[in-house]
Amino acid sequence: MAVEISGADIVRAAAMLGAGIAMGIGAFGPGLGEGIVAGKACEAIGRNPREAGLLTRTMLVGQAVAESTGIYSLVVALLLIFVV
Amino acid sequence: MESIGKVSQWVFDIGGTRLVVNSTTIIMTWVVIGLVLAFAWVATRGRGLIPGPWQQIAEFLVQWFRELVRDALGHAYEERYFPLICALFIFLLFCNWVGVFPGMEEPTKDINTTLGLGVMGFFIAHGTAIKVKGLKQYLKEYFEPMFFLMPLNVVGEIAKVISISFRLFGNIMGGSIIIIVVTHLVYGLLLPPFLYGFFGLFVGTVQAFVFTMLTLVYISVQIR
Repeated sequence: MAVEISGADIVRAAAMLGAGIAMGIGAFGPGLGEGIVAGKACEAIGRNPREAGLLTRTMLVGQAVAESTGIYSLVVALLLIFVV
Repeated sequence: MESIGKVSQWVFDIGGTRLVVNSTTIIMTWVVIGLVLAFAWVATRGRGLIPGPWQQIAEFLVQWFRELVRDALGHAYEERYFPLICALFIFLLFCNWVGVFPGMEEPTKDINTTLGLGVMGFFIAHGTAIKVKGLKQYLKEYFEPMFFLMPLNVVGEIAKVISISFRLFGNIMGGSIIIIVVTHLVYGLLLPPFLYGFFGLFVGTVQAFVFTMLTLVYISVQIR
């Protein structure tokens, strides 16, 4: 029994697939970057524990900025799921 | 699950132009404004040399941001930009925290709120630059280091607005979608309160702070 798949269904499937791929690849970079930032911050706190507050603050801001590419891919994925 | 991606809207017809207003965002923004006013009223009521808990919180916030603005902009501009930065942070903080209460939604979940604030920061930074450096010097900086790099510099400035507003929007929106999906999966058992704590309180605070700090940095980059 053959199931008919029309053009709209293929577009929908491709959008869903694209959303998954966008999120998967897009989350890779920020995850790596944020891990490196956290590791470096740990090293710096180990060397200079007195500045822990300042270092943590700078680390969080830096991580949130590094996260933005991941957020872009999230927005693109949301657009693919809800708009296309 | 059905509530994901739905936006409730009011549509007006005024003089032939169609106006679409996101009703949830408008109502929640007014709720947040009311909460900020209530916080200000509670914090400043019965001020004393020995501060109450609310006055303590307000004093801490004000002092902290005064130091941040002083570090970034220097003494000359501290008085002028400190109120903007502090107000921006408190507004965004309340915006991001209000979603923790049941039945409430964050106004920052709407791209219009964050994009509006981002555009506001953009105009303030560039207005400051024109005022401080003069129009000629300001325009000249777009043609550095080489004159044909001007389009890149312009795109870079516009990309700042998009990145700052989409960062806040994406974080809050993503958090709320994850909360809705997980709540649906576990039927509201045990896990959602922790998710609200993480996405609502922690991520909300960090993102409000990041948005404020980036606005401050954009202004300080233009002044230097």
